[in-house]
Amino acid sequence: MLRTALRNALAHKARLAMTVLAVCLGVAFVSGTLVFADSSAAAYRAAATRNFAGVAVTVTPKSPPPGAAADRSAGVLDDALARKLAGVPGVAAVRPSVDGVATLNASDGTPLRADKAWAHPAAAYVPGADGKDSRYPLVKGRAPANSGEVALDSGTAAAGHFRTGDTVTLAVDGPVMTKRLVGIVTTEDSRVTAGGTLALFDKATAQHLFATPGHYTGIDLSAAAGTNQAELAGRVTAVLPADRAEATTGSAQAAQQATNVETMTRGYKKIPMVFAGVSLFIGSFLIVNTFTMLVTRRSREIALLRAIGASRRQVVRSVLWEALLVGLAASAAGFVAGLGIASVLPDILGTSADPLPSGPLVIGVRPVVAALGVGVGVTVLAAWLPARRAAKVAPVEAMRTAGQPPSTARSRIRAVVGLALLALGAGLLISLTGAKDASEANLRSAMFGCAVLVVAMVVLAPLLAGPVIRLTGRLTGRFGLTGHLARQNALRDPRRTAATASALMISTALVAGLAVLGSSTGQALDRQAAAGLGADYVIGTRTPTLTVDPAAVRRVTDTPGVRTATAVTDSTVLLGGSSKEISGVDPGTVKDVMRLDLTSGSLADLGPGRIAVSGTVAREHGVRAGGKINASMGTGGPGREFKQYTVAAVYKDNPIAKDVLGARAEVAKHSFTPGSVQRVLVRTDGGTVSRTIEDRLRTAVGDNPLLKVQDRKAIVREAAGTVGELLTLMYGLLVIGAVISALGIVNTLAMSVAERTREIGVLRAVGMDRAGIRRMIRLEAVTVAAFGTLLGLAGGLFSAWAVGSLANGAMTEYSPAPPWGTLLLVCLLSLAIGAIAAAVPARRAAALSPLEAVADS
Amino acid sequence: MTADPFAPHALRTTPGIAAATTDLTKVHGSGDTRVVALDRVSIEFREGEFTAIMGPSGCGKSTLMHCAAGLDSPSSGSVRVGTTELSALDDRQLTQLRRDRIGFVFQAFNLLPTLTALENITLPLSIAGRRPDQQWLDRVVAMVGLSQRLGHRPAQLSGGQQQRVAVARALASRPAIVFGDEPTGNLDSRAGAEVLGFLRESVRELGRTVVMVTHDPVAAGYADRVVFLSDGRLVDEMTRPTPDRVLDRMKAFDTRAHTG
Repeated sequence: MLRTALRNALAHKARLAMTVLAVCLGVAFVSGTLVFADSSAAAYRAAATRNFAGVAVTVTPKSPPPGAAADRSAGVLDDALARKLAGVPGVAAVRPSVDGVATLNASDGTPLRADKAWAHPAAAYVPGADGKDSRYPLVKGRAPANSGEVALDSGTAAAGHFRTGDTVTLAVDGPVMTKRLVGIVTTEDSRVTAGGTLALFDKATAQHLFATPGHYTGIDLSAAAGTNQAELAGRVTAVLPADRAEATTGSAQAAQQATNVETMTRGYKKIPMVFAGVSLFIGSFLIVNTFTMLVTRRSREIALLRAIGASRRQVVRSVLWEALLVGLAASAAGFVAGLGIASVLPDILGTSADPLPSGPLVIGVRPVVAALGVGVGVTVLAAWLPARRAAKVAPVEAMRTAGQPPSTARSRIRAVVGLALLALGAGLLISLTGAKDASEANLRSAMFGCAVLVVAMVVLAPLLAGPVIRLTGRLTGRFGLTGHLARQNALRDPRRTAATASALMISTALVAGLAVLGSSTGQALDRQAAAGLGADYVIGTRTPTLTVDPAAVRRVTDTPGVRTATAVTDSTVLLGGSSKEISGVDPGTVKDVMRLDLTSGSLADLGPGRIAVSGTVAREHGVRAGGKINASMGTGGPGREFKQYTVAAVYKDNPIAKDVLGARAEVAKHSFTPGSVQRVLVRTDGGTVSRTIEDRLRTAVGDNPLLKVQDRKAIVREAAGTVGELLTLMYGLLVIGAVISALGIVNTLAMSVAERTREIGVLRAVGMDRAGIRRMIRLEAVTVAAFGTLLGLAGGLFSAWAVGSLANGAMTEYSPAPPWGTLLLVCLLSLAIGAIAAAVPARRAAALSPLEAVADS
Repeated sequence: MTADPFAPHALRTTPGIAAATTDLTKVHGSGDTRVVALDRVSIEFREGEFTAIMGPSGCGKSTLMHCAAGLDSPSSGSVRVGTTELSALDDRQLTQLRRDRIGFVFQAFNLLPTLTALENITLPLSIAGRRPDQQWLDRVVAMVGLSQRLGHRPAQLSGGQQQRVAVARALASRPAIVFGDEPTGNLDSRAGAEVLGFLRESVRELGRTVVMVTHDPVAAGYADRVVFLSDGRLVDEMTRPTPDRVLDRMKAFDTRAHTG
């Protein structure tokens, strides 16, 4: 039977090529993503290992126990301790370090890669015995020698367009500093190589900024040859003041750093994995279809095998062997393609500001097993159904010329199962729309509902093919006889038509659903930001402990082009038992910069002892304007006091105003840094938003890279974050769906043309010209495509509506906003795919001679 | 010169000839596999005549019909349908000629399974985008006795009924000539007799020209004239044949084949 399978596989090369391609695509994504994941993890690990290459043990101050004074251990690591550690047996060298964080401006004054708070290490340049710091090899210039100098790593210098001698603006945790760039170094620090920045100061400056004079934040020890890291750590711990410092091995730190950086960049792997899943799922329809058609075509041959004594099991096995061969070939090809994907993924996913680590491709066992398992598994599983069906063919049945229409009993079972699934999926989704709560559990139920819905649609598709195609037939009917024939041909085998259309159906559903969700979410975010924001610019801080210099607020107010600038103090307030975010505003100007939708009361009444609360807070505490509420402002300590406040107003939830509004004078008294300012809301003359104004505002706040100057668009973009990812996903899915659907249509049509050779010959004999034949095949393809698209569109829109109403719980401004233009484009694209996929089969059909009808009977 | 292929060629035209071949030769393959299917066959099919082409298997009778009907192209020689020289036509023009001026009845019926009987009958007209001449259509449908079954699909019809649909299809566009390729080959004798009766009626009563390839002497007995082909050559001709006379003539081929 293996030989039969091999012969069959070879005999249907062209047909199987499509299947191989479909499987190949899925396997390529799976193995590509896994190889990419392994390779980047290995690259991170390698970088981290290099970074800690010379470090056997690091001594750091112990974190103080909660409640203890924070600065107690700051002074433990000093030169005396360093000398003491140098005397520990097994220590080869001692290198003290002073590490902190510094955010830079690029040479044009804009913050450099400032979005990643975790990726801006700063350190002291600590020369060793040879006068050089081995951790930061200089490639240009010299080491920073005084408090006015700085060195940067080469990547940062390039990204910020700096050359030695330039002035660098940077901030550590508060005021802006300017320093002269004197040197450029290289570093293995994976935080920096993964898209961060590095600033180096001389030892005294670093100690001043990140510790206290004469003290260090860490002491690195290198080990003498043959010394075990763990043993050394033990000996070092023995000489340390036990409660104030601790020792960690270098390898443990390297592992920790690699894990940290990898976690930060994990999101990159999600999208390719989704592509892999979708392409395999859609591809499996193509495989089922191909094998069904191959088996149908061979039904006589199978009947012959059965007649001469082959058992059912042998027939099934023969088909499965064939699938196995196809699966193996496809997996192998897919794996090779996957390596290609893995090698280009870093360039596609990374940007110049966001480079992914480069390193050799790491081909582990996992991707190989996954590729084989997925490729062979999906193919064999998909072939199993048609194989069983083939084995059931009674020898007599197969000798008949015409295929039997599927029994009504079977289609009734199909209808019952399909409708049950549809009811389950749709019912689940509809029941969730009442929940209006985007909790994890609800989202998971929604995903499950969508999946069930898709399966239901796949099951019901053959039954829907008739009615839907009769409907689209009204359009194709305009093409006269060819349109009529195309429609009839598409209706001839509803199961095949449905299976062919399924690929397009699923991809259309996914794309339409994502498009609706993406556009609705985007608009909701935009509305949300717009609803709350009356200002044209918001100046905010990148870290919660940071404040805006009050002098800067005055400078902003005096900036030409600025009409109003209002300082806002952000703090927390304890209401009942829960902590809420409070914004301290000036009651006089708040109306200019925040657009508040008051449900009751008046903001003019804000003042000492009088606060305004959001709708949610009002509901939670059952208060309305004029009511009283107990609250405690500020972060507070153990002895915090509650005080009764009068609710002056209630406003609709608003991300700019946050949970509670209070008078700034009162809120600032209780804030983390009393009297501080966290946000400045700016209104410009005539609402102007321009690069010039933005630059002026940046100058007004002293070009501090730790401050964000954002217009409304930037705020929305920041809030949208993942929505952009959704769009990438959508277009990617569209392309994959299109490719696989096209393959499926080509495959079905080619088979269908081969089966209808005689009919096409008759049409040619009785006078249809080649153009007519081509048009007929193309219209058939378009009909199938239209069927899949319509079904997919319906499913996608319904699911998006249901899932979207969950989003309503998380986003008050959410309302379904289908992007009709995009959806129309998707539909037209699907029809175009049908027409394009038909090109080759149509040409082949048109080339058939009319003699085919009469000859070879 | 952009001659209209359908314009009369005065010099070659013989009035009353529906189709004709002159020195028609068809060679399949080359070298060792070279087979001469037709060897300089010249024959005329007169208007209003029912001609049967007979001969032993492999004598070239089907090839002759295919060439005469514009389904196959000759290696050399000429084929005319009415006044049109087929060798001058490109594929599109040949297609149009088949559609408008030639009718076919195949051994395997060859109806389109997705179309109803009526849709099959009017297929050539639909392809041409023309409305059927209702009077003519009614007459043809009535003749083949299908008035009650026009809405049926081929799968719902018996073989004889399917072939009657095929005959009606061949006549629907009032073609100049109808070609039949073993039209009774797949039918039992009763259904076969019916179909042959319709073909003869279409000649007698509707004034059509019919050319039929057959190996059945009984079928040939319905024709006005029988031509005999052997080894790609025209060897004999018989007018007003009867099955017995045809059978005798065919036996002569067999004898010669056995002795020679």
